Amino acid sequence: MKTVIQRLLNLLAFLLTVGRPVSADEIRHTVAGYGQDSDETFRRMFERDKDLLRSLGIPLSMAATDHWEVEFGYVVPPEDYRLDDPGLADDELAALGLAAHAVRVGSTAPGPGALFKLGGSPAQVAGEPLAANLGADADVIADMFGAVQEHRLVTFEYRDKKRRLEPYGLVHRRGHWYVLGPARGETDVRAYRLDRATKVTVGADVEAFERPAGFKAATALSDAPWDAGSDDVQATVIFDAEGAWWAERQLTSAAVVTRLGSEGSIEVTLPVANRDAFIGWLIGFDDHAEVTGPPELRAQVLARVRGEA
Amino acid sequence: MLPWVIANPGVRVDEVAERFGYSGKELTEDLNLVFVCGLPGYGPGDLMDAYIDEDEVVVDMADYFSASPRLTPAEALTLLSSGMALLSAGLASDALERGVAKLQRALLPGGDDSLVVDLPIEPDLVPLLRGAVQVGHTVTITYSGLASGLTTERTIEPWSVFSALGNWYVRGQCRLAEGERVFRVDRIRDAVVREETFAKPAESPEPVIDYSPGVDDVHAVIRLSPEARWVADYYPVDVVEDGPQGLTVRFSASAPLVAARLLVRLGPSAELVEGDEVAAAAADLRARIVTRYMASTY
Repeated sequence: MKTVIQRLLNLLAFLLTVGRPVSADEIRHTVAGYGQDSDETFRRMFERDKDLLRSLGIPLSMAATDHWEVEFGYVVPPEDYRLDDPGLADDELAALGLAAHAVRVGSTAPGPGALFKLGGSPAQVAGEPLAANLGADADVIADMFGAVQEHRLVTFEYRDKKRRLEPYGLVHRRGHWYVLGPARGETDVRAYRLDRATKVTVGADVEAFERPAGFKAATALSDAPWDAGSDDVQATVIFDAEGAWWAERQLTSAAVVTRLGSEGSIEVTLPVANRDAFIGWLIGFDDHAEVTGPPELRAQVLARVRGEA
Repeated sequence: MLPWVIANPGVRVDEVAERFGYSGKELTEDLNLVFVCGLPGYGPGDLMDAYIDEDEVVVDMADYFSASPRLTPAEALTLLSSGMALLSAGLASDALERGVAKLQRALLPGGDDSLVVDLPIEPDLVPLLRGAVQVGHTVTITYSGLASGLTTERTIEPWSVFSALGNWYVRGQCRLAEGERVFRVDRIRDAVVREETFAKPAESPEPVIDYSPGVDDVHAVIRLSPEARWVADYYPVDVVEDGPQGLTVRFSASAPLVAARLLVRLGPSAELVEGDEVAAAAADLRARIVTRYMASTY
C-alpha cells in the first residue's frame, strides 16, 4: 500500500508540473516506482493507478503530444484539477460534516474524502443519529449530478424506451430523485424518476447543451396530477371521527373546519383545484368521508366509486 | 491534508490530527511517505519536505500540491444534498446555511437552480418523538395503520426519528408486537411520553425504508389507460406490458385494501386484469362508500 501511495504521489506531482501531455512510455521511464517492471506488469499497474487517480476526482485525460496528433499522452489540466475553493469557515465545515453524517444518500455512509479536500473537519463527528435517507442508487444519482453540473447529455432506459436527455436539473422530492430536462433536440421539459431509469450512461462531451436562463428545477417539477388544476369548486365534506384527525393534518389554511357534535366528526369546506386528485384523496378515507356539496361533485364521487366515470 | 497544511504554515500536530482524523503515529507515518516523493530526478531539491518540528507540521517544496483536487460528482452531491435536505427540513444551523450557500456557488456554476432537495415537512409529533429518543423514554402511541386501517394503542421504545421516501418515521422496539417496528409519524394520532426509561440497543443496523415485496403481499395486475399512466411513476409497480391497449403493471402491496383504493380512485381508467383478493377488497370498499352515501340525504 505504501509503495502505491508513493507512486501515485510521484505520478501526480509529475503530471501537475510537466505542463504537456506525456506518453505512458515517458511516465514509465521518468516517474519513480515504475522503472523496473516488465511491459505487462507496467501496463496493469498503470491502468490501476489511472483508475485510482480518477476515483479521487483527478481529471486525467488524453491529449495529442504534438501538432500532428500522431501520439497521444496523459495530461491533468490544472484548471480542471484545482478545487474551486468555496472558502468554507471552520464552523461551516463542521456543520456540513454533521449533515453528511445525518443524511444518507444511497446505502452507505460517505467517507471523509470530500471534507478533507475542503480543509478537513475541525470537530470530528461520530454517532450522529440518522435524520434522513435520500435513498436510491447513489452511483446513478452522482452520474446524473455530474452531467447536470457539466451539461453533458445522458442516455437511459425508462419504461422500456431509450431516452436521450439534456439534464437541466436534479430534484429530490416526495422521497424520490427526479432528473429534469428535454429530450435531445426538443424543448419540452419532462421529469423522470431516477429509480426507474436503467442503463444510465453519461456523454463524453462537456457543454453539450445550453440550459435556458431562468430554468428553475424547483418549479419545473410539477406536482400534477395532485395539486395543480383549473377547477374551481368549493367542496363540503363530512369526516367522521376515524377520518377527521387524518384530514385535519393534511388540510391547508384555505379549509374551514366546523366541529359536529361530540364524537369527533367535522365538516370541512375547502377549495378544489383538481377534482380528480381530490376524489383520489377522498377515497383514501374509505367510508369515513362523504361529500355533501355541491351536488354535482357528490354525484361525481359516487359515479367514480361505482366505476362509472 | 497536504494542501491544507501548505496553506496554513505553522500548524500543530494536534490540529492536523483532529481535522483529518489521524492518530499522532499515523500522521508521522504519512509524512514519512510524503518526504520520499517528489519530482523526477528525485534528488534533495526534487523531493518534498515533510516532517514534524517541535509539534509543528512542516510541508515544503510541494507547491504543486497546494490546491486540493476538485470533488467528484458523488462527493459534491453527497455533501450538498445532505446540507440542503436538513435546510429544507428546518434543521439547519446558521453555519450550515452559509456552508451550503458557498458550496452551491462553487459546485453549480450555472446558478443554484439546478439542484433541489426537499424533505417532507415534519409532522407536529416529530419534535416530541425526537426528544423521547434523546432522553431514552418510552412513548405510548395511538397508531392507525395505513394499509390495515386498524387503530391500536401501543408502547414503543423509540430509537430514532428519520425521513425516508417522502415521510417521517419513528423506529424502535414495539412492546405490542414484541419486536422492532417502524411507524409513520403522520399516522400516529396521539403520543404520550412516559417517565419510564429504556436501554437502547448498543448497535442496530440503520433502518432501510424501502418497499420490498414480502411473502404475504397481495398482487394485482392492472391495465392503465393513458390518463392513468402516472400511476407507474407514483407507485412501486413493475411494468408488465406497454402496448396499444395501455400500460399493464403489476402492483404489490402489504394489504388488498391498498390496491383496492387505487383501483376505485382510478375508476374507468384502470382495469383489474388479475388479483382476486384485490377485486374482493375493491368491491367491499365500493359497497361501504355507496352505503354511506345512500344513507344520507344531501
